Amino acid sequence: MFGLIDAVAFYARVEKVFDPTIRNKPVVVLTNNDGCICAVCPMARELGIPKFIPYFKIKSFLAKHNVVIRSSNYELYADLSERMMNVIARYSDRHYVYSIDESFLHFRNFTCIDDWHEYGHVIRKAVWRETRLPVGVGFGSTLTLAKAANHASKKLSGFDGVAVINDEDSRKEILSRMSLTDVWGIGSKLGKRLSILGLKNGWDLANQSPKSMKGQFGVVVERTVNELNGMPCLNWDEIGQDKKEIFSTRSFGQRVTNEHALKAALSSHASIVAKKVRRQCSLIKRLVIFASNSPHDDNYYKKSVIYEFPVATDNTLKIVTAISFVFDSIYMAGVMFYRCGVGAIELENSQFQQQDMFNVTVNNPQLMKYYDKVNYRYGSGAIEVAVAEKSDKWAMRRNFLSPSYTSKWSEIPKIIC
Amino acid sequence: MKVIPVYIEAGISGFESPAAEYKELNLSLEDLLLQHPNATFFGLANGRSMEGRGIFDGDVLVVDRAEHVSNDSVIVANFNGCFVCKIIDTDKALLLSASDEHKPISISAADSFQIEGVVNVSFRLHKKLPTLLSCLA
Repeated sequence: MFGLIDAVAFYARVEKVFDPTIRNKPVVVLTNNDGCICAVCPMARELGIPKFIPYFKIKSFLAKHNVVIRSSNYELYADLSERMMNVIARYSDRHYVYSIDESFLHFRNFTCIDDWHEYGHVIRKAVWRETRLPVGVGFGSTLTLAKAANHASKKLSGFDGVAVINDEDSRKEILSRMSLTDVWGIGSKLGKRLSILGLKNGWDLANQSPKSMKGQFGVVVERTVNELNGMPCLNWDEIGQDKKEIFSTRSFGQRVTNEHALKAALSSHASIVAKKVRRQCSLIKRLVIFASNSPHDDNYYKKSVIYEFPVATDNTLKIVTAISFVFDSIYMAGVMFYRCGVGAIELENSQFQQQDMFNVTVNNPQLMKYYDKVNYRYGSGAIEVAVAEKSDKWAMRRNFLSPSYTSKWSEIPKIIC
Repeated sequence: MKVIPVYIEAGISGFESPAAEYKELNLSLEDLLLQHPNATFFGLANGRSMEGRGIFDGDVLVVDRAEHVSNDSVIVANFNGCFVCKIIDTDKALLLSASDEHKPISISAADSFQIEGVVNVSFRLHKKLPTLLSCLA
């Protein structure tokens, strides 16, 4: 049996955990730089506030309805996420954290459980009790069915936070009430193409012939069809597969025109990418470096350059140096830069490297190991490449930030005695 | 993972410490004070109504959400949108103070009330740290 557990409106809900004054109010959370709405609590959803709408467009509506606005408090979300995952981990023998608020479970030695519905509630109650976060729990015989059951547990009427697909009836009931794009792995484009064939919901998709699906849409859809029929195709190891591209990009809190400031920002993104690349034991072969002003500006300016490393590397110093090589072709005086970023678009595995007798060693695993260790121990940014010096200008704008209730002693909640 | 570091001794390097075999992990305050680390948060006491139970203004409360609540437990609750620390009387649905100057508060259906956790531990810094007090401001 597989399970998928995820939190309901995680960011918005976390904001309520340590702030009793907003527990019964509609809450929305804004993205980086307070740009768009990225999370709405159920109360805010009832007001009809859509996700991903720019904040300035809905500002007066929010004020009219006394909606509480928060900037993304990543320090707090990371802590609550870890606590939630630790509680969930107690209930299965294998567990994979899929995202900040989602976790897959695999039950291999759990033959003793005969009522999965009840077991789901046991997990739900424990997470609620210990972290005050509401979660949806879905069980199924494949990862895709577990994901479908999880969807049902939260979105379909008649379910109370737990859904189980363990027989034909439950499978048919849930899949026939799911739209195609609610099925894991079916994006909006694929959904459109499938609907042209006359398919309407997940159950229709499950009843297609896997062979013909493979012919028309490729092996991914074939696997999805099999998974929807209870045949496990997705390997447990595959859900945790390494990322094929890694990006670090952000818009500036204030526009940047200065050459050095832009270079510092790009260098800082480069070192973030390098860190993430090392974490999954990859090496960067190709890097894309870009910067732009806003598409709403009069003269839209966007420059993006690809840099190829002669030898793939995970060395922060080499990766930051690449920025200097291409910087002159990106920067233009007079442009008010709004956004920039760096992305590793071609990665290689560091364990299987084809060596070349003319290669000069560019990697310095020992230095990078200690670089990462120091930053882990003393907080990221403790050691930084000098050119990536931080500046307030491009720090995130977070005007509605809640306190770091669990990570700073000066911000722990006040309790009236 | 808790590991006791043991250093390998090689070569001619004098005598091994006779105490080496007896080395243990150092004391950890977290081990002592936190029963359920995942379910625990800290808060700062503000007010004097719990002095009879040894909780003074400016003390740090260790609030455990996983701990069982029973009659007469010291709890932290969300009472009408405010975190309060009181003694719970589960029989009569009262929030009691540990001080003569504060009357019992009865919890009615009109109140918004949720128990957040149990306070089995609180501690006091006899020399106040400015960082801690700044959240009372």
